[in-house]
Amino acid sequence: MSYPVLTVTTFLPLAGGVLILLLGSERLARWVALITTLATVAVSVPLYRGFDKTSSTLQFVESRDWIPNWNIAYGMGVDGISLPFIFLASLLGVLCIGASWSAIQTRTREFYAALLVAETAMIGLFAASNLFLFYIFWELILVPVFLLIGVWGGPGRVYASIKFLLFTLAGSVFMLVGMIALYQALGTLDFRALALARDSLDSSQQAWLFAAFLAAFAVKVPMFPVHTWLPDAHTEAPTAGSVILAGILLKMGAYGFLRVSIPVLPDAVQLFLTPMLVVSVVAIVYGAYVTLVQTDVKRLIAFSSISHMGFVTLGIFTLDQGGVEGAVLQMINHGIISAALFLCVGMIYERTHTREINDYGGVAKAAPVYSTLLGLFCLAGTGFPGLNSFVGEFLIIGGAFRTHALLGAMAVWGVVLGTAYLVWLYYRVVMGQINPGLEGLKLELNIREVATLAPLVLFAVCLGLYPDLVLSYLRAPVAALLAGGVTP
Amino acid sequence: MNGATLSDVALLVPELILVGMSVALIVLARRIKNTPIAATGTVLAALGAGMYSFWAVSEGTQVGFGGMLILDGYSQFFKVLIAATLALVALLSVRSHDLEEVPRGEYHALLLLASTGMMLAVSSLDLLTLYLGLELMTLCSYILVGIAVDRPTSNEAAIKYFLLGSFASALLLYGIALTYGLTGATNYQAVASVITGQGLTENPLLLVAIGLVAAGLAFKIAVVPFHAWAPDAYQGAGAPVAGFLAAGSKAVGLAALGRVSLTAFGEETYVLSLVLAGLAALSIVVGSIVALAQTDMKRLLAYSAIAHAGYALMGLMAGTREGISATMTYAFFYVFMTLGTFGVVIALGERGRTLDGYKGLARQRPGTAALMLLFLLSLTGIPPTGGFVAKFVVILSAVRAGYVGLAVLAVACSVISAFVYMRVAVFMYMREPEEPAPSSFPVAVSAALAVAALVTLIGGISPGILTVWAVSP
Repeated sequence: MSYPVLTVTTFLPLAGGVLILLLGSERLARWVALITTLATVAVSVPLYRGFDKTSSTLQFVESRDWIPNWNIAYGMGVDGISLPFIFLASLLGVLCIGASWSAIQTRTREFYAALLVAETAMIGLFAASNLFLFYIFWELILVPVFLLIGVWGGPGRVYASIKFLLFTLAGSVFMLVGMIALYQALGTLDFRALALARDSLDSSQQAWLFAAFLAAFAVKVPMFPVHTWLPDAHTEAPTAGSVILAGILLKMGAYGFLRVSIPVLPDAVQLFLTPMLVVSVVAIVYGAYVTLVQTDVKRLIAFSSISHMGFVTLGIFTLDQGGVEGAVLQMINHGIISAALFLCVGMIYERTHTREINDYGGVAKAAPVYSTLLGLFCLAGTGFPGLNSFVGEFLIIGGAFRTHALLGAMAVWGVVLGTAYLVWLYYRVVMGQINPGLEGLKLELNIREVATLAPLVLFAVCLGLYPDLVLSYLRAPVAALLAGGVTP
Repeated sequence: MNGATLSDVALLVPELILVGMSVALIVLARRIKNTPIAATGTVLAALGAGMYSFWAVSEGTQVGFGGMLILDGYSQFFKVLIAATLALVALLSVRSHDLEEVPRGEYHALLLLASTGMMLAVSSLDLLTLYLGLELMTLCSYILVGIAVDRPTSNEAAIKYFLLGSFASALLLYGIALTYGLTGATNYQAVASVITGQGLTENPLLLVAIGLVAAGLAFKIAVVPFHAWAPDAYQGAGAPVAGFLAAGSKAVGLAALGRVSLTAFGEETYVLSLVLAGLAALSIVVGSIVALAQTDMKRLLAYSAIAHAGYALMGLMAGTREGISATMTYAFFYVFMTLGTFGVVIALGERGRTLDGYKGLARQRPGTAALMLLFLLSLTGIPPTGGFVAKFVVILSAVRAGYVGLAVLAVACSVISAFVYMRVAVFMYMREPEEPAPSSFPVAVSAALAVAALVTLIGGISPGILTVWAVSP
């Protein structure tokens, strides 16, 4: 088919959002949103069918003059690293609608419009082939997510939304200065052109630029110690907001490292390598310990993200083929699992209106299907063999052992703790005698909810059994990325 | 120097249109009972002057009145911007509760005269015409601020503005006098050639003169430490007048400073650049931080305007053509986003005055809240809005000029101001309404808001259209 696939995939949700606002009907909003997100998945199909996995170059490239007198073009294109994220973003877009179907009762029009704008920003970020466009989508996503948290969130939503906005903005303004300094030094903002021209940056320039971009990426990932916005934002957000945050937003920072820091600033990467690795391991272990003591289900899953994203940054900065592949795979895995866990929590919260672990117990008796699915996702989260996280963590830890054995050993401790908090969570919520407070509630999932979770079950299992589904896309681009002269 | 010829007069057509309409309104003032007639006249005059300016430049740069006035791309750009400001303010004045008792004919006549002064100032090529233009603008502004004679706050604001304003005018005039004493000229190019010819670049008196001229103009732009008048004047004045001062006065001050610094004192780039960098840094920091404490919307916007003036100066600081064109871009988007914000404040009437009035607005009037959100995002500098493009170009020019530290300071402060603007968004979207929904607005106000929103959004999405046009002299 002959349409600009990436542009259409990116902007279709935005068009749907505008349509929802124009229609002015609260009843139709969710249907329009559902159709839009499904259509977005449909129009993106040619991406997967026509993609050449053996090539590391950008594919489906679109380039148009945008701001000619600044030498900035509207450029889109995907490689094997960005393609899985586009799939993930469009998939989670659909599931968010499913999760919000009955949970969102007020101001539905604005809710679904915000959700769709966020989807455009998520897809566009991974499709952008130049830094200017990347930055625009990076900032654009702040607005809908700010509103999603602040308007439809929990009791502490206003504080959480402001904190989220200020933290991420504080990081990204430094990226703005970094981007401008890069543009000033190299005269272009195209990712590939930047990587080709990087030799004209001396190492102190690279170090400053790395620090500027690090400010933005570290907040988004989030890395220790700028992670404090995450527990509030994820906990207070409505389910769909948590899914977007955990599923996609956290990946944006790690993707930035792969897209900007490693290809364009290799000397600085070497310079910052040790601190980055140490901070990653601190995030893994510290995040896991903090997760253990949480008493709020949603907050627990939020904190577990800090630990899991520590694995991702660890994998990236091993600069090892297996480690980086594992990091990208783990980003997808975490996107699937944390989204699934937030969906599970949201579904039961809709019935019980409590997030305290102590208010649960014995859910298995009342809701066997729910308990089975939750168990599957908890196991997947612990890195159970045969499920998706196992492969990612295995590759990352393998990469870490090859390059920095001590850090690898500490990361393994993170896996052990991860098993502990997820299994313990499952034990407290699902096992044992049914909590008296839950008696008489219809806890079992309905068809819509099962359908919302089903794709995630499918991918958790498929990626566990056949990780090549994603890894085959990564091999060539990761090899090219690391061959760019930065392998230690 | 001979008498003015017909071709000289052609340079003044936009100004003459405005003056003509102004005189007509004054003559008819007693007969004008309902607002729309005066506003329509003003909008028509603004459109005429704006369109004439827009098309006139195709004949190339023209200098007239013995080198006193110039018509070039630069003056054209600002004349169109001033005409747009005037038209939007006239539309917004149609129903402003601040100005209900105000005689409409005189009010619009003063707006027109002030705009005439602005246009003269941006097209002047001589320190004296610059001074005259600025004074015409400022004198009309004093009256506009105090025009609601029955309101004590309005009178108080006018007096404060007048006292500080005359002080600043004196500074400017003193600077001009010193320049004349040193160089024997007031024409920009003549001043510049004497400075280079006689090697005056190291002369301390010249530095004092430059400092005084910069201070006088800084007052019009309202940058720290010449900003003290702005919050009081904005708060006391009717909201449309406050918008007019925030947008128009600032744009004109920037335009004048840009031309003076590039043409007349082009040899002193280094000194000017240091002075401007200091002013910019102070304004950005003070404006952003003090805005945090404001609960009155007009005061909040006044401090926001002070911070924005600082950002805009970052372009001029570079002392290059690119830098000036960055400031032009900034001024352009700033005018539309700030008038849009003032437009929402005006449209909401009594409710728009304080921060609390915005509680729950998104429930009662989702469209208005969305527009306000757009303007606030633009003021914050979040893409894809014009405010982002503006911020991008000025920071680029600061980095180019080697002021990376200032660039970092500026973006750090933009996070502080993000809190200021997003607090309004929080009130609109995340709080329950406490007051009844505002009544519907007149078409004129909606039209002004729509124009401002379109420019803010389209300019943000395809900045290429504007950047081609924002070319320094």
